[in-house]
Amino acid sequence: MKEYQIRMTQRSGTLLLLLSLLGAVSLLWPFLLHAAGAAPQAHHLDAPFELMVLVPLLLVLCASELARGSFDVRGIAVLGILAACGTALRIPSPGVVGFEPVFFLLVLAGFVYGPSFGFALGGLTLFVSAFFTGGIGPWLPFQMLAAGWVGLCAGLLPMLSSTKKEKWMLAAYTAVACLLFGVVMNLWFWPFGLSGSTSISYVPGAAVSTNIAHFVAFDLTTSLGFDIPRALLNAGLILCVGRPVVVALRRGAKRVRLLPHVDQAHTTT
Amino acid sequence: MIRFTSTSFRYEAEKPWVLDGVDLVIEEGEFVVVVGPTGVGKSTFLKTLNGLVPTFSGGEYAGEVVVGGRSLSSNRPADMADLVGYVGQNPSASFVTERVEDELAYAMENLGLDPVTMRRRVEDALDVMSLHEIRESPLGELSGGQRQRVAIAAVLAAAPKILVLDEPTSALDPGAAEEVLSALTRLVHDVGLTVIVAEHRLERVLPFADQVIVLEHNGVIHVGPPASMMAHSPIAPPLVELGNLLGWAPLAMSVREARRRVGDVKARLEDRELPTVRPIPEGSALTTSNLTLNYGEQRALKRVTLDFAPGTLYALLGRNGSGKTTLLNVMAGLLRPSHGTALLHGQPPFRMAPSDRIDLVGLVPQDPGDLLYAQEVGEECRTADREHHLEEGSTLEMVQKILGKIELTRHPNDLSEGQRLSLALAVVMAAKPKVLLLDEPTRGLDYCAKLSLIEQLHLLRSEGVCVVVATHDVEFVAQSADQAIVLSQGEVIAQGSAREVICHTPVFAPQVAKVFSPLDWLTVKEVMTALGGKR
Amino acid sequence: MIDDRPHAVAWWLWALGLAVVAVKLSNPVPMVALGAVIFCVGYLRQSPAAWGRSLMLFVKIGAVVILVRLIFQMLFGERIPGHTLFAIPSVALPSWAAGVSIGGPVTAESLITAGIVGLKLALILLAFGAANAIASPRELLRSLPGVFNEIAVAISVGLCFLPELINAVQRVRSARKLRGRPTKGIAGFRGIVVPVLEEALEHSMELALSMGARGFGRTSSTPSRRRSALCGVSAILGVAGLILGTYGLLSAGSSIPNPGVLCGVGAVFLSLGVVASGRRSVRTRYRPIPFGWRSMVCVVSGWLGLVGISILQSSSPDATSYAPYPLVWPTVSVAALACVAVGLVALAVSPRPALRPSGRSKHMAEATSR
Repeated sequence: MKEYQIRMTQRSGTLLLLLSLLGAVSLLWPFLLHAAGAAPQAHHLDAPFELMVLVPLLLVLCASELARGSFDVRGIAVLGILAACGTALRIPSPGVVGFEPVFFLLVLAGFVYGPSFGFALGGLTLFVSAFFTGGIGPWLPFQMLAAGWVGLCAGLLPMLSSTKKEKWMLAAYTAVACLLFGVVMNLWFWPFGLSGSTSISYVPGAAVSTNIAHFVAFDLTTSLGFDIPRALLNAGLILCVGRPVVVALRRGAKRVRLLPHVDQAHTTT
Repeated sequence: MIRFTSTSFRYEAEKPWVLDGVDLVIEEGEFVVVVGPTGVGKSTFLKTLNGLVPTFSGGEYAGEVVVGGRSLSSNRPADMADLVGYVGQNPSASFVTERVEDELAYAMENLGLDPVTMRRRVEDALDVMSLHEIRESPLGELSGGQRQRVAIAAVLAAAPKILVLDEPTSALDPGAAEEVLSALTRLVHDVGLTVIVAEHRLERVLPFADQVIVLEHNGVIHVGPPASMMAHSPIAPPLVELGNLLGWAPLAMSVREARRRVGDVKARLEDRELPTVRPIPEGSALTTSNLTLNYGEQRALKRVTLDFAPGTLYALLGRNGSGKTTLLNVMAGLLRPSHGTALLHGQPPFRMAPSDRIDLVGLVPQDPGDLLYAQEVGEECRTADREHHLEEGSTLEMVQKILGKIELTRHPNDLSEGQRLSLALAVVMAAKPKVLLLDEPTRGLDYCAKLSLIEQLHLLRSEGVCVVVATHDVEFVAQSADQAIVLSQGEVIAQGSAREVICHTPVFAPQVAKVFSPLDWLTVKEVMTALGGKR
Repeated sequence: MIDDRPHAVAWWLWALGLAVVAVKLSNPVPMVALGAVIFCVGYLRQSPAAWGRSLMLFVKIGAVVILVRLIFQMLFGERIPGHTLFAIPSVALPSWAAGVSIGGPVTAESLITAGIVGLKLALILLAFGAANAIASPRELLRSLPGVFNEIAVAISVGLCFLPELINAVQRVRSARKLRGRPTKGIAGFRGIVVPVLEEALEHSMELALSMGARGFGRTSSTPSRRRSALCGVSAILGVAGLILGTYGLLSAGSSIPNPGVLCGVGAVFLSLGVVASGRRSVRTRYRPIPFGWRSMVCVVSGWLGLVGISILQSSSPDATSYAPYPLVWPTVSVAALACVAVGLVALAVSPRPALRPSGRSKHMAEATSR
């Protein structure tokens, strides 16, 4: 099957799942709350800010556990190097009208090396590129999480028999993933960035459908202009360059002998 | 200190054994040189010394290696870090941090030493490798020689008892190589460090060696003192060849020893004539006039005025950073000069369209693999044929002329250094340019491969191609070049016939010239011809 | 020289504290004062390296955020009666875009509310900017505790490799020109990306060898299987607790009792699980910056203001909150200003950053031919 995958241990897998769940809750809470029948409170506005503190801490703790559990020195080396490649793709034009070719590399690397590697690579690439695009801002943990999800799901895509079909599948996934990335980033910003009394704000206590409609309007007006070019660019890159890159990644894995991880049980004398 | 017991290793089943039933002992405090033709497995052998092979490489492994009392079958490479220091072939690829000091401290951090000891050892390592001025520098700004020194210092800082170096001087010019080797010898003598070095340019390291290990293609290895090993080794530096020619037993290993013994031969040579300088053909393939190039405030080339004639082999010499690569890049049309001109058949190369330019000038860069794109050797040759409208198979023919039989399905990255260079050379020559430029082609080549390269270049020369080689391999220059140009800090400080230029510059003088100085003999072959082929 | 500056993590905690203060405030007077405090400290203590630019960058982003918020208010504001300033022509949207209205009269109250929200965001950004400028991510990387070693190394490796990567791209580009192949467009991209990627992966192999040979991943003793399992379970329980606690906090305690406690307990479990298993590694740090009393003072100065503001919120809410209904001037409260000014104490415990001599210029070819 996927012989170049860096497999994760049971524990890392569970942790990853839980972390994703937490991330999902921290992003979707405006819609979930009403579904649970919560009444609006005066300090609902504080919640997103508390999340801004919580999520990065968790991200970091879980990431370290993940890294230690899943990757040996070769995995770490490849992770760092590919994160640098992704950063180089991102630096020339951070966010300029959606010109971010980093996603195509992320998807391909996640596809070849597996979901846990893809998750780690997504998070790491965004973090390293923050060094060069101004610094660590409150948006960073969520960007890292979202990019991690892109890599994670890319790793879960199946290998197909025909390379042509594979190419199209990857391109389609990339386009969707880029759009969803934009949606996730908007989700983060929307409740408190636009809080208050605009007609596309989050209205605590209103029906879920109202909030969704508001959010969709917000999404359309703000970032579709960024998301669509990004999706098209990355999908296009996969179609043009995807095959040779996948071959290069697989060859590289073979040379570095990224064997399936075995739990360290080595004793020293 | 190091004991191999029936050790065997090969990368894949059904491939030849790299090491076959090796039994070997290396004592403490010795300077050991590992010798062998390209591709025989010197790097592999070095990696077995701290367990990198087979832990990181996979493959079939048998036997036992005990290093400093620790068995490698129960210790991982990370556990050996305080005992064995390993520096690979590409020092830039081994850096983990961003500053020199942090790099030096990295190994010690992993070993869990306390900060006070770390401070002290970092200072020691900086002293040994003379790195004070650059201690705060970011690693990205260092030159190749400085990086090599930092890589060695980073490993020394952990105070290992054994130091393993894979081609440490290949990227260094002769002066820097001397420095590094003397520093290592000092450590061997003062501290009792065991140093094991694999090197192609034996003329640099043999004088320091206590033991020599010779590797052969069938997995067998031989160990012994330099003089006796070199007598039978197929790979031999000029001094050894000279010794064989003059029938010395035991062989002289250093220039000083040789100089003591050549008294009478020197007397006989005094009234022999030196070989005549090859006449420079008429015409000019490429000229530069007051060529200047600035990188910001740095002046890479200063008013360089040169004239290159066709059908001649030029050697471009100079320290690292003196502007050799820049000059070649300007000549190949990759860089635009800030002032002055470079003219290739009357036109500036950088103004030409690339498709026209490759018919006139070809450059084989420092990393020949950069030129190779295909996934297979055969495909690369076919593409070259197609691009330059040649007959099918002509590029492949040229490759095989140099290398002999080669598997067509191999990936270019899997080839050895010499094979990759030959492939790149063939691909460049497929366009039949009138000027051929080579940037440091001899890195990673053993003496045989160098000889075949020289043959190829001489063949091209006879076809009227102007060949310019930037190198600091003086033996190569001695054997191949007609004319030599020396650059320093971007200026031409010497030019003329190869013999004149290199014999009178101590740093660039080949071993034979040093032995017979002040006579200007360059190679053993010349000496042999002059003496009539006998003693 | 003993490094007695506040730890990088201390500075980030300081900034975080002030950011939380910004969240709690909605009275523009102490908010502006807070902005001045953060900017002051950030400006006076910014590191002289390129990171100093971060401060101005985040200020600009903050300004943009306020502007965007105002524009959104003007375009999409709900029509609440108030003092109308001007009107934007309204566009009626079809019925499926229910509830979304564009244009209409713009009132002073709505603009002020929007401005305050924007200011809140801008203050958070400013706090991040100051933290970036004073304790840059690189410094943070160097000061991370040993638990995060693997991640820190991966980041370090990436940062270290980046200039090599740029180099490799230039080399491959030159080589392509040498072979007369296109260097622009899709064919150029493909011809550059693939060789560079291959080289990067080769590089990673060498790197792994070098790291392994220098002791990466050395462990002092293997933990017992039981301990490993315990740590793992603790971590998982911790995350689960945190999820539930977060949900509880967000839904304001209606469905889940004591969400704050749950969060705290979950965090403790998670930290235990991660840190305890981290004790395997023996790594030490070269030139460590101790988390001494200066760092503690720094952190406290960031969070003390929060305590004061929280007290004020219940005793005299006008000092910290403000809503423009009715449209009156906001209260100026000395107590609130004092709480905000506590953040300046960090200046007292940190040294002025020394000017570093500029490095040599790098060798980058400026003039390249096509």
